[in-house]
Amino acid sequence: MSTRPEETESKENAEFRRDVRAWMAANKPAHPGFKLPQSFLEVESERQFEFLRAWQRKVYDAGYLGLDWPAEYGGKGDPLKRQRIVSQELNRAGAPFLVNVIGLQWAGPTILAFGTEEQKKRHLQPILSCEEIWCQGFSEPGAGSDLASLTATAEPTADGWLVTGHKVWTTLAHVAKWMILLARTDQAAHKYAGISYFLFPMDAPGVTVQPLVKMTGEGGFNQVIFDQAPMPKSALLGQLGQGWQIAMTTLTFERGAAEGTGGGQATPSESSIRAVVDLAQRVRREGRFAAEDPVIRDRLVQLWIQEEGLRLTGQRARVAGLNMDDRPLATRLMNKLVYSELGQNLTEFACEVLGPDAALWLGDPCAPDKAEWPRAYMNSFGVTIGGGTSEVQRNIIGERVLGLPKTK
Amino acid sequence: MSTKSSQALRLEVPTDFGFTEEHALLRQETRRFLNERLPMGELRKLADAGIAFDRGLWKEIAELGWVGLVLPESMGGAGLGWLHLAILLEEMGRRLVPGPFLGSLLAGVALREGANDAQQARWCPGIASGDLVATIALTEAGGAFETSGVAGTADPVDGGWVLRGRKTHVLGGADAGLVVAPFREPSGAVSLFAVETPNAALTAERETCIDATRPTARLSFDAVRVARDARLEGDAATAWNAVLVRGCAAIAAESVGGAESVLLTARDYAIARKQFDRQIGFFQAIKYPIVDMMCGIELARSLASGAAAALDAGSPGAETLARMAKAHASDVFANAVRKGVQIHGGYGFTWDCDVHYFFRRAMWSRAMLGDAIHQRRKLADVLFDR
Repeated sequence: MSTRPEETESKENAEFRRDVRAWMAANKPAHPGFKLPQSFLEVESERQFEFLRAWQRKVYDAGYLGLDWPAEYGGKGDPLKRQRIVSQELNRAGAPFLVNVIGLQWAGPTILAFGTEEQKKRHLQPILSCEEIWCQGFSEPGAGSDLASLTATAEPTADGWLVTGHKVWTTLAHVAKWMILLARTDQAAHKYAGISYFLFPMDAPGVTVQPLVKMTGEGGFNQVIFDQAPMPKSALLGQLGQGWQIAMTTLTFERGAAEGTGGGQATPSESSIRAVVDLAQRVRREGRFAAEDPVIRDRLVQLWIQEEGLRLTGQRARVAGLNMDDRPLATRLMNKLVYSELGQNLTEFACEVLGPDAALWLGDPCAPDKAEWPRAYMNSFGVTIGGGTSEVQRNIIGERVLGLPKTK
Repeated sequence: MSTKSSQALRLEVPTDFGFTEEHALLRQETRRFLNERLPMGELRKLADAGIAFDRGLWKEIAELGWVGLVLPESMGGAGLGWLHLAILLEEMGRRLVPGPFLGSLLAGVALREGANDAQQARWCPGIASGDLVATIALTEAGGAFETSGVAGTADPVDGGWVLRGRKTHVLGGADAGLVVAPFREPSGAVSLFAVETPNAALTAERETCIDATRPTARLSFDAVRVARDARLEGDAATAWNAVLVRGCAAIAAESVGGAESVLLTARDYAIARKQFDRQIGFFQAIKYPIVDMMCGIELARSLASGAAAALDAGSPGAETLARMAKAHASDVFANAVRKGVQIHGGYGFTWDCDVHYFFRRAMWSRAMLGDAIHQRRKLADVLFDR
């Protein structure tokens, strides 16, 4: 079995990688003994949250977060490659995920791109240190795939705005200090032009956070009701009416099509393939190990090929001359679609490998790996749906990359 | 033939794939040449007339240095790397370049890896210049791509060998002046032999190949007498494995090019064709298969480039990546032609529509040097460590 491939890298980067790897080995926390969330989509209890927050803080204090962000905002001003190394090593070590994902990967880079000096100084460092958690207020009950039909409004007042509306699927809202919020500021304007982008303080009056229960039975995401909730003038990011454009930038980060994140990306990786190999070597089917079944072997190799293909596509996206000149963005824009579906295929396959034991759910003492696999398969839909469904991704690729006629 | 010890445990690829401006230039010049020299109308003319080996075209591409691209300069080649070749073959695949290129390429690999200096000096410069069309005949009835499938025999006689056996699916086998082929010696060992043609005891019967642009032949060795030095003196196992691995990387790159052409054709048709008062590409039932086709092609392109870069870097992961690339590119090309015909509707079912030429190429390429099922069985041994 191959190990996580390190690209051929400079002596300095190789040294840096060795340091990170040694640090991870020495500092990766032991399992706390209670059920941990599989991703940031299901942080439900206080102790889960505090455990994860302490871990991110530790990684930041060690100097391993925000490496490519400017030093004046809490970062280090290093090349992006360094942050990529940390993300790979976090993944490799099987370390807990970094809980402030929305801050690190979506809000932070967007603020870096569009924020005022004051906003950057105010918000970026507490994202890295995990002092302030972020959530995202984009989707609404009536605005999912058709995000631009959102109806939450921000009414101007003397010193800011009053927000009224209803946001859904707001992961981490129950612990968030801030929200990146899309709200309509001009009812008369065209659908897209009437939207503005705000950095909304979640402790404002008039905000109600209600938990939603996921299909796994777990909590961790929410709906947020705004009833004339006030925010100051300084909450506006970019220009009034520029919200749609800025939101597209956020979504580009969210879908992994652009880098620049504070760290902690998680995609299906060689280690997740290895985990299923390991599973197949433990599970017995019809009198032999699953790993000896030629059909199981063939199907897992298909997934391995996809995973390596995706990894190399990420690497190739950074070599302009190896991308098609008529669609230079293809290798980036397809990332979210391919990795989310690969993750889903892989976790579903693991359940198939398990046979009847895949039907044992969380809490059953005989459930293999504490029912991690059926849970992961269910949770994989958070990724094929969240951040724009696979269908929306196919529309985007078809229309923006291949130039096919627009669906809407 | 491949053993586990020769396979990679690490799939390292240089960060930039070793890509340089030289590679970009090669792509640009190849595309320009083929756009001019081999537009689809010209390819149709050659294919429909059964002229797979157009000596004029062959001479031109040989003069461009393509045939000897990866042979060392000492053997008359250009001494370039496998990423160069991958780029060249992707462009050639887009235009379905007909002719005996692949056979000559793989015979060159076998000679480079498995022949001694004198043998290389004798044949390689001719291969590189295009004057000597060569091929490799690995397959016998049953279609195996491993030494275990070799039933043809080589018996020592005074001053040489007598070769007996029947080789199938030999690329350009009826046009080749040199055939490299494996035979089993009385000891049981398999060696590679280089047989010059014509030879009275060697008969080439053209197969009716589904892909008229890449015809094949059945070769009958009916007690073919060759000199002692017709046996390649290097390690046959190493040479055979190099042919398989480098051949997989090459066919993968070419298949990516073929699939790319089908993608663009299907895309253009989905934009041009109207039904129900709309461009059919508006409908997601048409749009999504085209998008999925593209995603598959991009992954295959990454694997093919990665395999080539790993070969250039001498990475131990090269064999694994080459097999992955071959497996995935075969599947992707097969999917592209299948969806490609379907998206063109009734027109796609006709001879007039270009897609069937690619369809034919995909049918043959997917099986060449081991299909996806074969490659994945090999890969499973790596993944599961046995």
